[in-house]
Amino acid sequence: MMRQHRWRIRLKPKLILGLVLMSVVLTTILTMAIAHMYRTRMEDYYSQVAFDQASIAAQIIDGDRISDYYTTGEKDAYYEEVREYLLMVKQIVGLKYFYVVVPEDEVMVYIWDAGEPGEEGVCDLGDSDAYYGGGDELMHAAFAADADQVILITNNEEYGYLASAYVAILDSSGQPAALASVDVSMDMIDEQIQDFVGLALLITCGVLLLVVVLYYFYIRRILTRPLGVLHQAAQGLVEHQMDDLGQFTLDIHTGDEIEDLADAFQYMTRELDEYIRNLAHVTSEKERIGAELHVATQIQADMLPRIFPPFPERGEFNIYATMTPAKEVGGDFYDFFLVDQDHLAVVIADVSGKGVPAALFMVIAKTLIKNHAQAGQEPAQVFETVNNQLCSNNEAGMFVTAFLGVLEISTGRFTYVNAGHNPPLAALGGQEYDWLPVRSGFVLAGMENIRYRQQEILFQPGDSLLLYTDGVTEALNPAQELYSDQRLKDFLNSGVLTGQPLEEQLRLLHGDIERFAGGAEQADDITMLLLQINETTGGRDHGRTDD
Amino acid sequence: MTINKQSQGGKLSIALEGRLDTTTAPLLEAELKQSLDGVTELEFDFAGLEYISSAGLRVLLSAQKIMNRQGSMVIRNVNQIIMEVFEITGFVDILTIT
Repeated sequence: MMRQHRWRIRLKPKLILGLVLMSVVLTTILTMAIAHMYRTRMEDYYSQVAFDQASIAAQIIDGDRISDYYTTGEKDAYYEEVREYLLMVKQIVGLKYFYVVVPEDEVMVYIWDAGEPGEEGVCDLGDSDAYYGGGDELMHAAFAADADQVILITNNEEYGYLASAYVAILDSSGQPAALASVDVSMDMIDEQIQDFVGLALLITCGVLLLVVVLYYFYIRRILTRPLGVLHQAAQGLVEHQMDDLGQFTLDIHTGDEIEDLADAFQYMTRELDEYIRNLAHVTSEKERIGAELHVATQIQADMLPRIFPPFPERGEFNIYATMTPAKEVGGDFYDFFLVDQDHLAVVIADVSGKGVPAALFMVIAKTLIKNHAQAGQEPAQVFETVNNQLCSNNEAGMFVTAFLGVLEISTGRFTYVNAGHNPPLAALGGQEYDWLPVRSGFVLAGMENIRYRQQEILFQPGDSLLLYTDGVTEALNPAQELYSDQRLKDFLNSGVLTGQPLEEQLRLLHGDIERFAGGAEQADDITMLLLQINETTGGRDHGRTDD
Repeated sequence: MTINKQSQGGKLSIALEGRLDTTTAPLLEAELKQSLDGVTELEFDFAGLEYISSAGLRVLLSAQKIMNRQGSMVIRNVNQIIMEVFEITGFVDILTIT
């Protein structure tokens, strides 16, 4: 709410201040221009009045008589006649001063000066006065037979605002005898201009006040109120209307860009609503799938024997295995189980592809292999049977590479068969690890009626066998290099593993693969099974004990 | 991976470059699905193929199965690494590799 308040006192004053400023500038310029024009016109007008009266007087007055008045200082009837004429004109026309002077070098000497008897400041014949306000040059310029129109405009404390005209009175010989001078007061020009400016200001202020009030409501109606609605809608949207965006409406009908904005906002909100619904749907779907995948991973992990040591009472061998899926559920599996008291079966397999389809196929394959192996079939026979069973319902075209070996615990005889799987590594008779000689059969579930041939080897105490999937040898580093068969073999023979328990050996191997991958994402399941022979008790003995 | 396809009558030649793995195998599978109708002679050129995973093998196997019904399929120019995979997995026995 604070933000809204601050925003409200910001937009309106801005617009109103702009309006006021514009009005002030406009009024000032207009008033000054009109006042200036008016003053110029009025000065011209009063100057013309002054000049006209001076010219008439100059025509009427007999110039030849002036030199007598000037030299003798004596008045006669004509003098009085002229004085009365001047006084009459002054009163009728409303002149400030009306006088006739002879301009001397330093002073001017009065001949006539129109005025009521006893009027203050009226000069008599022969009085002299100093020039004022640049009158000196102008009056001497006008004192000629063919002088230009001479107008003097002065404005001072003593005489006020004056327009003065000077016209030479010529004698019969055409020589200037005196100057007919008229002063017209123009003080009313200033007064009128003042009145005009005052009126202009009054009207401006009045109109401006009215306009500002109207403008205030106008702005509020077309701008601030719709914007406020938008603002509150946007805030309210986030605060409490998220659940009901589909019904979101904005009541703004200004018919301009603001309405466009509101429409766009409404459109956006409804689109947002649809998007959120979709997202929520997709998210819940993803969560459901994620949860199910998690359960699937758990089920798959539970299917592999994970309790070590699995046969604590059997000291003849040690076994340890791990499976690290690449995606949630993997296609790799390992298995080991006692077929009977003297036979241990070990299986490792890799279903083509990954994810749920591979995991489902893996379950079938694992179950079939275990069932048939536990029924006491020879390894090659197990694979031939399982292969045909897997082929019979395999629309998806999946297949499994698998290795199955059966150890006769008492003798160390190890019978094995390979269906397209990576050959295991074995350390035999104190030698280094090397690949077990393996005849590669075709993958399981690839094609019906494949014949598999089993092989045999005799383990001695101390021998080890590592079964692994291609997730180990084909682990990639960021430079897209394979971990490789060679690197695996070299690591096994590096001596690091010597004397370590099996669990630790596989942990170290896994660590080496991870170090090699250097943070690159694991592309395939990594599955390893390590079998170590501790002793062979001799078939006869063992068989008897077990029975 | 890039798939270069050349079709001439009943003969279809496909040259692969790059890696045929979990990510790219579905591309080849889709390509084969829409191209194999009426093909009697399918030829793969693996000269540019660097790697094949089990997902890639699965596509080859299904192609082989289809071609067993409607004609023949051969794979040419298989490099050492891929040949090893074919040998380990027993694919050498069911594929025609020249």
